[in-house]
Amino acid sequence: MIALTRMRLNGFVRTGRAVAPLIAALAALSILYGGGQAEPGEAYGVSALVAFPVLAWQTKILLDVEPDVQRRLARVAIGSAARETVAGLLTAAVAGLGTIAVALAAPWVFQAVEVDPDGTVGRAVLIGLGVHLLALGPAVALGALASRAVTRTAGMGAAVLVTGSVLAVVLGLHGSPVPWLVPPLMAAARYTASGGPTLTALTLTTHALLWTTATACAYTHLRHTRP
Amino acid sequence: MHLDDVWLRYRRGGPWVLRNVTARVEPGGIVVVLGRNGAGKSTLLQLVAGVLRPAKGRVRDRPAVVGWVPERFPADQPSTVDGYLRAMAAVRGLGPAATGRAVDEWVQRFGLGEFRDVKLPELSKGTAQKVGLAQALLVPPDLLILDEPWEGLDAATRDLVPGIVLEVAARGGSVLVSDHRGETVRLPGAATWTVADGTLSTAAADTGPRCVVEVAVSAADLAGAVARLREQGHHVLRVREEVGS
Repeated sequence: MIALTRMRLNGFVRTGRAVAPLIAALAALSILYGGGQAEPGEAYGVSALVAFPVLAWQTKILLDVEPDVQRRLARVAIGSAARETVAGLLTAAVAGLGTIAVALAAPWVFQAVEVDPDGTVGRAVLIGLGVHLLALGPAVALGALASRAVTRTAGMGAAVLVTGSVLAVVLGLHGSPVPWLVPPLMAAARYTASGGPTLTALTLTTHALLWTTATACAYTHLRHTRP
Repeated sequence: MHLDDVWLRYRRGGPWVLRNVTARVEPGGIVVVLGRNGAGKSTLLQLVAGVLRPAKGRVRDRPAVVGWVPERFPADQPSTVDGYLRAMAAVRGLGPAATGRAVDEWVQRFGLGEFRDVKLPELSKGTAQKVGLAQALLVPPDLLILDEPWEGLDAATRDLVPGIVLEVAARGGSVLVSDHRGETVRLPGAATWTVADGTLSTAAADTGPRCVVEVAVSAADLAGAVARLREQGHHVLRVREEVGS
């Protein structure tokens, strides 16, 4: 599985397809941090929200780089449909970590954060890492659902991406009747901005993990009949 | 390996591409899959390879190591020939030393030496097809599936394919080959599976003596007559056009 992950990551980078989502991430972050300084928690919470559609789009691009027949060859070579599918998700997660690293560095590069005298940079970055990782799993799962292997057409793939990203914001707003239907990105942004008990962080993490698991299971199930 | 009452369609509610397919491949057996264009030969081969899953029925006892050569090798990839074969060997679980040996062997046998550092999209169709063959053989397959393997190959490599098929079979591996060029006449003792109208008819390997019958057919019905003869399990050795009666 590691070998297939390496092969796909290599294809993603060498075809140049990794550039577009990176530029999109930098553009979004420069707009986000162009307006002045904020607390690290607040900045990173909104950054993770902005990174969610970019990470999902990056996942779709990554999974779509491989020709359909090569994906089938990989399935035969690795000897298991499940391992081939999981290798795709793993590759997208690894690529996502690269984008997250850029997102974590961005507010310091743009000088858009102010750290309290008693606060530390390390703690701020740790909060940022946590909230971005919270977005990574759901973004990879959504991007996989939008990939060509599942949606078959570019239009349907775009529709899945846009609908998922918009719903994540709209249904995550304060007072939403069904916040559990979408990944807890808005709730995480509110939490990192205003703080709260540790139990809330654990609840948000569990929510994100459950959403990721459910969506990844749907993807894996669909891939059984769409190799 | 067994196919037990296998049915397949590409989408729920869509037409059945394969219906009620029951067949068996013995270790060391060679099967030639025949049928007209669009009959479902490639679908059947992908089902056997484990790429497609049946909607009904099941495929049992598929060997662990499967080599599949698709009808068209996907050359639209950024790797070089060497890089691609090494990556596929690693995906198949070979270590660095075994990868080097396997890649060297098949690069040499298919005459790919001068193309090792050439990127896949720059290869001719025939050379890309050789890479497709090589990737399926990096680990000795227990089941080798060749979908029209002769397409685009030069004469030297076309002559290599029957030898490779017989090597795999001699080691106890099973081989399925689809063919519409009549090249499989060079696979003696092969059983025949014929796909027509979504169903499969099988004929055991014909090991008895054979006769050659020369038959004249209407030029307008040439393709149909050849297809019908193949569907009936006959080997069409040669087609020649004659002027006059």
